[in-house]
Amino acid sequence: MTDEIRPYTLIAELSYRCPLRCSYCSNPLDWARHRDELDTATWLRVFREAEELGVVQLNLTGGEPLVRDDLEVLVGGARSLELYTNLITSGIPLEKERLGKLRAAGLDNVQVSVQDVSAEASDRIAGMRSFDHKLEVARWVKELGMPLTLNIVLHRGNLDRVGEMIALAERLSADRLELANTQYLGWALINRQALLPTREQLEKARAIAAAAKRRLQGRMEVLFVTPDYYAEYPKTCMDGWGRRFILISPDGLALPCHAAHTLPGLSFENVRERPLGAIWSDSAGFNAFRGEDWMREPCKSCERRALDLGGCRCQAFHLTGDARATDPACKLAPAHGLIESARTEALGTAAPLRYRAAKI
Amino acid sequence: MSALIERLRSEGERRYHDKHRYHVLMHEGRLTREQLQQWVLNRYYYQTRIPIKDALIVSKSEDPAFRRMWLRRVRDHDGDAEGEGGLAMWLRLADGVGLEREEVASCRSVLPGVRAACDSYVELVRGRSLVEAVASSLTEFFAPDLMSRRIAAWEQHYPWVDPEMLAYFRSRVTRARRDSEEAIDFVVRHATTPQLQDACVDALIRKAEVLWKLLDAVYAAYVKPKLAAKAKLRHDRVANKMMLLYPEKGLVLNATAADTVQLCTGERTVREIVGELTAKYNQDSAIIEREVIALLASLAERGLVQESA
Repeated sequence: MTDEIRPYTLIAELSYRCPLRCSYCSNPLDWARHRDELDTATWLRVFREAEELGVVQLNLTGGEPLVRDDLEVLVGGARSLELYTNLITSGIPLEKERLGKLRAAGLDNVQVSVQDVSAEASDRIAGMRSFDHKLEVARWVKELGMPLTLNIVLHRGNLDRVGEMIALAERLSADRLELANTQYLGWALINRQALLPTREQLEKARAIAAAAKRRLQGRMEVLFVTPDYYAEYPKTCMDGWGRRFILISPDGLALPCHAAHTLPGLSFENVRERPLGAIWSDSAGFNAFRGEDWMREPCKSCERRALDLGGCRCQAFHLTGDARATDPACKLAPAHGLIESARTEALGTAAPLRYRAAKI
Repeated sequence: MSALIERLRSEGERRYHDKHRYHVLMHEGRLTREQLQQWVLNRYYYQTRIPIKDALIVSKSEDPAFRRMWLRRVRDHDGDAEGEGGLAMWLRLADGVGLEREEVASCRSVLPGVRAACDSYVELVRGRSLVEAVASSLTEFFAPDLMSRRIAAWEQHYPWVDPEMLAYFRSRVTRARRDSEEAIDFVVRHATTPQLQDACVDALIRKAEVLWKLLDAVYAAYVKPKLAAKAKLRHDRVANKMMLLYPEKGLVLNATAADTVQLCTGERTVREIVGELTAKYNQDSAIIEREVIALLASLAERGLVQESA
């Protein structure tokens, strides 16, 4: 894809509600305060405005998007705009009949998440019995002739089972397997000491995933997202701030990423009040970290600045208190010591997990 | 001198036909019975060219020791008596996959593209110096395990082929190693100037292209590509081009690529698709065929086309 600023993907967080309570959940810590969800007509307008901006991919996510009883209508609206529609779901609550209706409405892809390879381990992370039903949902997706993405968030408690995860995805005939190491923001940052793997664990898992990727090429796409805590340089978070993605929160805030509104001093606008096109091009929040003008040293003169665009602004803020700082994941960052000490901590005993809850 | 070996290795390995889609499909067990049969039938023509080009190589040498060594290759293929040797073994393989031996041996059903590629190999050897001709034989040196992989894949995925018939492949596992060690040794000793070394590398590249074109021709005739269900084609208003969407990603397609994708309905062979595009764009069909096959390979690696139906 070309290099201009142009959104390709709309991430529609239809609701923060979710029956699961995963301890690395990326929803806001105060999610329970956001009760005022956008209505059907507003979502359909937002899809149309996004498509006019060039968006071609629509991720329907949450929380759990299935809790919306207008989901079929939203999928139908997306289909009429020729958006490639991806349902990102825990699979709960879902019956085969409803999945069939979603397919008939034009759903293109279903991404089901599991938390581990066994019911016991997966359900422990999710905080409820869910694993067996998730596998059932994955089988329905294939029975209905739809592509299936299996998503598993990796952390120190399950990283040693990457081989079994690949085997599970093969048994389910998944088209795509996302092995995504936890991003340490939100609930995951609180639980970091319980979740961050050791480098040795990570390297083993990476090698297994790389071999599977070669072996399965053309049949199943294997994606292994490295945690930036063990990378030399930061990742190009969201492909750059306000460059490829627009995220709409359940109550209508238009954001460059799911954690952007946790940064202080930035103003973001609501799609209830302004058309998406105007928000995308003019809003202070979307422009705050676009391009390279906002950078300070060592980013400003760094030869990699156009590659990683300074890394993740949210990680910079939540670790250093300064959203303009170089992402501490970068080995050139003044605050890189914070990442190094987290790696050292990971060599010690894992802390107990704290579950996502309405109040902490 | 190891620099020359390294150069030959990297140029050869990069272009070696084990990476061709037809081989990938074969080794993953995804060829249909007909697709596998047609590979055996067409590849037989290549097998018939080998002793001829080896005899040409023998005729270029003034050294009896070299000729003795290289003549063994001709005997390996032709055998010491009727029914022996590599060619006879290949005809038994043809039996094993359910082909008429007489039809295979006659070479009358060989695809024109396969015939042209194999004949160009003989012409390459005829026209080049001894050391270059020997260098062109080095392709097997760069993937010594291709035969072992092929045997394992056939035994696993095509149980309807009598395993006894894989004798040719088995015999090649050790012979290929011995042959290519002798050849590499000869090239290193005789390609003593930069010009000669360049010529040897070039001969090897031409030979790798022969093997690749052979598979292109079989692929074009016997694969009917079908766009995968997960891939959706739409117009992209920003680029004003067609775009192929699939989970989380999209590819912007140029006009020919978009037309190609639209013709991938599982009903047309690659050759028929190339024919339609050639008529529409009034361009050289060889160029279009190359582009179409390259596009299909990149789509297949992403799981966006099915090739076996």
